[in-house]
Amino acid sequence: MRSIEDEATAWVAVLGNDGDAFVAVFDQHRDRVYRHALRLTTNVHDAEDVTAGAFLELWRRRKSVRVVDDSVLPWLLVTTTNLSRNLTRGLRRYRVLIAALPRAEVAKSAEDVALGRIEDLRTAERVRSAMSGLSSSDAALITLIMFEHFSPAQAAIALGISNGAARTRLHRARNRMTEALASLEDGDSAHTTKEPIR
Amino acid sequence: MSTTEMDPVFTTALRDVLLATVKVAPRVRRRWRWRMGTGMLVGLTLAGGGVALASGVFSPPGAPVDSPLGNLITATRTGTATIDIGIPPTTATDLSLSLTCLTVGSFEFPNGSSMSCDAADLSHSIPIDRQASEVVPLTVGVDTVTIRTSANATWMLQVTYVNQVTTAWGVNANGETYGVTNQNGTPDLVAVVFNHGNTHGYVKESDLNCAAGGGVASPAEALAWDKVRQNRNISIPVFQSDGVTIIGAFVLGDATGSDAQTVPLSSLSLGC
Repeated sequence: MRSIEDEATAWVAVLGNDGDAFVAVFDQHRDRVYRHALRLTTNVHDAEDVTAGAFLELWRRRKSVRVVDDSVLPWLLVTTTNLSRNLTRGLRRYRVLIAALPRAEVAKSAEDVALGRIEDLRTAERVRSAMSGLSSSDAALITLIMFEHFSPAQAAIALGISNGAARTRLHRARNRMTEALASLEDGDSAHTTKEPIR
Repeated sequence: MSTTEMDPVFTTALRDVLLATVKVAPRVRRRWRWRMGTGMLVGLTLAGGGVALASGVFSPPGAPVDSPLGNLITATRTGTATIDIGIPPTTATDLSLSLTCLTVGSFEFPNGSSMSCDAADLSHSIPIDRQASEVVPLTVGVDTVTIRTSANATWMLQVTYVNQVTTAWGVNANGETYGVTNQNGTPDLVAVVFNHGNTHGYVKESDLNCAAGGGVASPAEALAWDKVRQNRNISIPVFQSDGVTIIGAFVLGDATGSDAQTVPLSSLSLGC
């Protein structure tokens, strides 16, 4: 894997149709994009499809990608969020291409792998459920700031909104996310809480 | 396999696909002047974006017409830099930018289009061979232009405000639109100049897309396409605006070696 010392320079090379530079950008960010896709999808195959879609979109829309602090990662993460929210529609353009990609014969589903980590799986399911109730813009903000630890200022640039608007929307999105998670928590409690011992 | 790392088989295949995708993209070292073989597209390129047309030479339907406003500003810089261009006139709609590379390097305009210059480009005695022109819409409240470059790349920028009006495409007897790609899309017949810039005509958008790799839909096709293109140029017919009368051939590709071939699109089975 070729590491990128200067992503901004690599991105300029990508814009000049440098395939090696584009592959270097892929190698630099693929794991983080994939982990984020896993967070929002129900199995590893979907997460792989979304990751592939995010990088194919990065190429297709390379001329309009917002570069934040010399990195395309925020754009990739927001695109990953959007693709995960509607797999069928988001990946329609690449359906044939992605379906043609080979995979390891034994690819465990996220559920299989997580059998020993039921609590992790429940958490992931709660996150997915809570995220699905947010608007696209709120989901993008949550992705960048709460999950990926970008600053509100960086998220604002990535989303093309003002710093103030990002902070206002973040406050609202956080509240909605918290409410959604609490609601799911209550639902779980209704099934699992035992009567107190008297 | 860890749950936090992609399947290595999938990863390798995806990497190959991405590389192949870049390779089959039109080799547009200068997007505004998509020079392929002996011809070039006129006006806006397939990928969109603005282009300054040489006034009085050939102004096909759909082309933007730019009227300069105010003074021409010239600046020379090395590396990424921002130029102050002053407050725009009230009728200004766009900025006309002309960039000349003075050293080897990559250069990116504010709208994301880019050019690269190598030693061969710099050896050209005619400055226009090292120039790129773009017309970019104004952004309210922004009166600077930033050019991003690779390390230590030196450039000269000429910039002026313009008022831009886009003309309408023509429509021939068969109902096909002809002209240049603009913000409304791409016409059925796309304007080109060829024969060393001496002749203009139109190529079918479908031919252009196919010859540029637009029909690739799978890794296998992408790799097959790459093989087809190796050391080979592809020619497509050039028509008058009627879309029927053939007046020449437009060549796509940059194969120039002694064993380079030019083959007609019709002789290839590209599935598009």
